[in-house]
Amino acid sequence: MSSIWIPPRRVLLEALVLVLVAASMGLSLNHTMVMKAFTGESVAPLPNISVQGAEQQFPVPVDYEELDELLAAGQLLVDARDPQIYATAHLPGAISLPLGEADQLMTEFSAKYPYETPMIIYCNGFGCPDSFDLAVRLIAEGYIKVQVYEGGFPEWRDRGRQLEAGAP
Amino acid sequence: MKQGLYHLCRLLLAGVFIYAGFLKGSDPVAFAGQVAAYQLLPYAFNYLVAAMLPFVELLCGILLLLNRRVRPALLVLFGLNSVFVLALFSVVLRGLDIDCGCFHPPGSEVTGTSPQMALLRDAGLMLAIFMAWFLRQQQAEEPLDG
Repeated sequence: MSSIWIPPRRVLLEALVLVLVAASMGLSLNHTMVMKAFTGESVAPLPNISVQGAEQQFPVPVDYEELDELLAAGQLLVDARDPQIYATAHLPGAISLPLGEADQLMTEFSAKYPYETPMIIYCNGFGCPDSFDLAVRLIAEGYIKVQVYEGGFPEWRDRGRQLEAGAP
Repeated sequence: MKQGLYHLCRLLLAGVFIYAGFLKGSDPVAFAGQVAAYQLLPYAFNYLVAAMLPFVELLCGILLLLNRRVRPALLVLFGLNSVFVLALFSVVLRGLDIDCGCFHPPGSEVTGTSPQMALLRDAGLMLAIFMAWFLRQQQAEEPLDG
């Protein structure tokens, strides 16, 4: 009797077939996404509507690589996270506009920053929807140059970049 | 008793992996973002994993639910789970603060699981996989009665 922990060869083979079948199912259903990723096209999380005239429905995503250039050009950086988290650490020069308090703060915000102000919103990285939601909220308010930095705070920090602390 | 325990493990794993596979499979782009957060793979490969992994989880879950090809499915889940554990360990060692991308529906309000919690949960899943395997192997050699 072979050990109870050693899989028989048939089981190993069937496991291999299982993986191959599942992988090809996944590939055939998602081939557009994978092709785009490998050819370097943008795989936007939502339909990436191009800017037509002054109308923009969805924010444009920004990569880490593009960020420095945009910030050097003076784009406003907006932190969508809670003010307490913002106070512990945020990207240098970022202002705080928490999604949860956006409605109350919007009048003050729009008085300070005109609708043409180019801005980049970030929150807690991939999987954090707040930056996107805040961007949509700002666009609805009338802002026309809103972008989202999807890597957000975690990517910036993990690349060893400088951080700033302090309450809003 | 043994058979009850076997079915419990089998159904638990089936439920967990069908749920996880379905969540990730329904929004592969968001899942790719979660894979990217681990910073283990080159850019495009995150999407490749996101395209395939949910279907492997789903298929294994379905086979366990149907009680067919249980050992191959368990073997694949063992492999997957080992990779998850290694990836989570590397996250803890590098001190990354990310959502594990395990069950958290992308874009929901629910806070994700920390890598430490995910490791604990993976240990539980590993135990269920081993128990189901052991009991199924016994069955294969001498069918249990009742």
